[in-house]
Order: sequence, then C-alpha cells, then structure tokens
Amino acid sequence: MDKPGPIIPAEAAPLRNLTVTMTVMCYLAGLAIGALILINQAVEGWTKGLAREVTVQVRLLQKQDIDEDLRKAMAILQNTQGIVSVQALDKSAGVKLLEPWLGNAKLDDLPVPRLIRVTVDEDAPPDFEVLEKNLKDHVGAASLDTHRRWQKELSRMGHTLSLLSLLILGLISASAFAIVVFAARSVLAANHDVVSVLHLVGAKDGYIARQIDQRFMATGLISGCTGVALAILTFFALSVSGNTAENGVAQASRSLLFAPGNTSVWTYAVLLCVPVAATTIAVISAKFTLIRMLKADL
Amino acid sequence: MIDLQHVGLRYGEGATIMNDVSFRMQQGEMVFLTGPSGSGKSSLLRLLFMAIKPTRGLISLFGQDVSTLVRSDLPLLRRRLGVVFQDFRLLNHLNTFDNVALPLRVQGHSVDSYRQDVLDLLDWVGLKDQAYVYPEVLSGGEKQRAAIARAVISKPEILLADEPTGNVDPVLAKRLLHLFLELNRLGTTVVMATHDEALVKQGQKPILRLEAGLLKAA
Repeated sequence: MDKPGPIIPAEAAPLRNLTVTMTVMCYLAGLAIGALILINQAVEGWTKGLAREVTVQVRLLQKQDIDEDLRKAMAILQNTQGIVSVQALDKSAGVKLLEPWLGNAKLDDLPVPRLIRVTVDEDAPPDFEVLEKNLKDHVGAASLDTHRRWQKELSRMGHTLSLLSLLILGLISASAFAIVVFAARSVLAANHDVVSVLHLVGAKDGYIARQIDQRFMATGLISGCTGVALAILTFFALSVSGNTAENGVAQASRSLLFAPGNTSVWTYAVLLCVPVAATTIAVISAKFTLIRMLKADL
Repeated sequence: MIDLQHVGLRYGEGATIMNDVSFRMQQGEMVFLTGPSGSGKSSLLRLLFMAIKPTRGLISLFGQDVSTLVRSDLPLLRRRLGVVFQDFRLLNHLNTFDNVALPLRVQGHSVDSYRQDVLDLLDWVGLKDQAYVYPEVLSGGEKQRAAIARAVISKPEILLADEPTGNVDPVLAKRLLHLFLELNRLGTTVVMATHDEALVKQGQKPILRLEAGLLKAA
C-alpha cells in the first residue's frame, strides 16, 4: 500500500461526456485548420501564377494593320528588361476566349483583338507603368493587362475565407471553454463533501484544484490527439477517393498531407497545435472555475 | 489561545443562534461545551474552525483576530486545529490509513515521511489492524477513532470535537473520553461539545453551558 489513493475519487468525476464532446470539437478544429492551410496555399499559388504573367492586347483600329502593330508590340516587349519570354497567341486563341459569351458562331468577320502572353522575371519585374506608356506611344492600339485586379480579388476572397476559418476556430475554442467550465462545476458539486473535508484539514484552494484539473489535462490531451488523428484520417480518405486529376478535393487533400519538403512538416506542426490548445483550454478554464468556486466557499 | 468577545450569530434573516457569547481559553485547557439540542454548540464550533463568520463580536485564535484574516491565511491557521465531527466525515474512497494521513498529505508531506507516525497513531487508537480497510466496513466506534486520529495526526494545538460520542455506546464513549483527556494531558487544548451529562461528570473538566444563545459557566 505504498501509493496513497486519489483524493478526488475517479468515479465521482466522470469526464467521459466531456472527452467525447472535446474530441468532436478538436476534429472540427482540425478540419478548419486544414481548410485554412488549403485556402492559403491555393490563393498563394493562384496569385503567384497571375503575377508571373501579363497580357498585352492589340486591338484592330480602322486603317491600321493589326499584324504590324503586333510585331511592334512584340519588339518593344522583347527589348524590355525584366521580361523572360513573349509569345503571340494566334487569332483562334482569341476567338476561343470569346466562346463562353458568343458560342461557336463564326467570328471571322469580328475585329477580335490579338493577345501576347508575356512571362516576367518574378525577382526583377519590369516597370509596368513605363512599359504601358511605351506601348501606348508606339502602338496606339496596344494595352497592358497586369491582372492586378484579379490578384486583388483573389487575395480578398482568400482573406475572407481565412477569416471565416479563424472565426470557426475561435467559436470552437469558446465552446470548449464553456463546456469545460460546466464540467468543472459539476465535478466540484459532485465532490462537495470531499472538498469541505479538505478545507477543514487545511488544504489550500490550489491544492484542491490541482487534484481535479489533472483529470482535465488528461481529457484535453486525449481529446486533442484523437480529434486531430480523425481529421488527418478524413483528409487521407479524401485524398485517396477518386481520380486526383479530376477531383479537386482529393487533389487538395493530397497536397495538404503529402506536400514536399517543409510544407507538410508545417501542416502537421500546425495540426499538432490542436492537442496543445485543447489541453491548455481544458486546464486553464478548469483551474479558473475551480479556484473561483472554491473561493466562494469558506 | 481562544478568545471570544461578545460574539453573536444569526443565519441570514433567521433566528438569532448566539447572543453575546464571550469566553477565553489558555493553552493546555480543556472544556466541555454543553447545552440542549439546538442551543448552538455546533455553531460555536463552526465559528472556531472558521467554517462560518460571526454576525458580530470578535474571535481571536492564537492571538490573531480571525475577521482580519485573508482567505489564503485560513489553511495555515486550520492546520493548527483538529476537528472531530459526530458524523465522522471520513472519505469513503480512502482507506483508514489514507484518511488519517490526509492532513499531512495536503501539507505536502510524502508517504515515507509519515507512514510510521500514522501506523503508530492507529495502534494508539486501536485501529492498527484496520489500517487498510475502507470506512464502510468499520463500526461506528472505529470510524470515530479514525476521525480522532485524523484530527490529531498533525499535532494540532487546539482540538475541537462536536458530539464525538454521539454515535457510540457508553463503553466506547468512555474510551473516547479517555483519549481526549490523554491528548489534553499531552498539551492539546480541547473543546468538546456534548450533551452527555454522565460523560461530562466523568471528565471533571470546566463546563461551558450554552442556553438560548447565551453562554454560562456551570
């Protein structure tokens, strides 16, 4: 009989329901974090792609040779520093871009503008204002589209979705805090007689709280690990479901779990923050509640 | 050591339990607190172990005015007191040894440091063979002796006992009385509330009688 029995009996503090609820919350938190990482990855990828390329549009003006204007524009672009490659798209490519609006009708008679795809050096891009002015001065019918408007739209959408994910994480944390407070109150109420004896024999509030909050620590840790493991399993199941080339969700899940190098390490590190956060929330909110309630007792 | 001056007690808006109670005890004294049921004996003990606060008056323990104590001081003061209840208040999920060792455990002592002391004390109160059984299999007298052992294990300066013989037969009551007298002889200040007049007579110690909220020396 070397080890003394627990001061608060285990069966008097059933935290099974709390463990189940916290596990569900940690699972949802894991999904929200996964979604947040995917959104950030996607927005970064899209904006990077848009920033790498710009488009020059050469319109057909009256009494002007569009092919000549196209050549002039190409020459200007090729002689501009910071431009890696220049590729003029043929007329059919322009027609194809109009198809979603005009259908498969014959558009040979329409003055469809010609497009030049320009790849820029991301590290040392050209001065777009100077380039635009240059094009305007020498080729009146040319205009430069840097896709900045789309970049801004994508960034805004990405930020909105990120904020939404963070809001969901915040709500999950607040709910977890509330249910732990409720559970801590129940445990203390169920053990009121034990607590009153402990007070009478000179136990400090911190000592009594420690006897109980250790259980909450275990609950937080178990719930957090189980919830995150389930979230990772869910992403894994999604990643192997169907053809990844056609299935966007599967592709995204694969990129989340099996991204090369530091990216996946970072993903797993962030997901592992869930058990840490769950344990912290469980311990802090339980301790806070217990001390407050014990202080209300004499 | 214990000093009460003009202490009054009333629970909320209810009837007055105690009215202008004053008494003083020096170290090593023992008194019997007597009076009919409902006279306020238990309330007076609850005031002394700081489970409740007086409505008015001054209570001083070990020279300290308890009304000026902050909450964090209470545990340290309570460790200088031992309390025995009529209903024992043993923790049913702990065995006799752990119940008796509880005051030392909450003070942060290790099992190794108190094991022998607890076993010796259990031997002294006649419970050595019941050290590792749980309260539910102990008789009323054994429970009371375990409760007394718990109250004195940390060598308190004051021992407060609320009807400690209320649930035991006269023979055992006499044995328990001798336990208290022996503890008092060893230097512990004892306040024993009881309505057992025969026991009080056997104890041959000063008597404080509570009646209608007033204290009278008998």
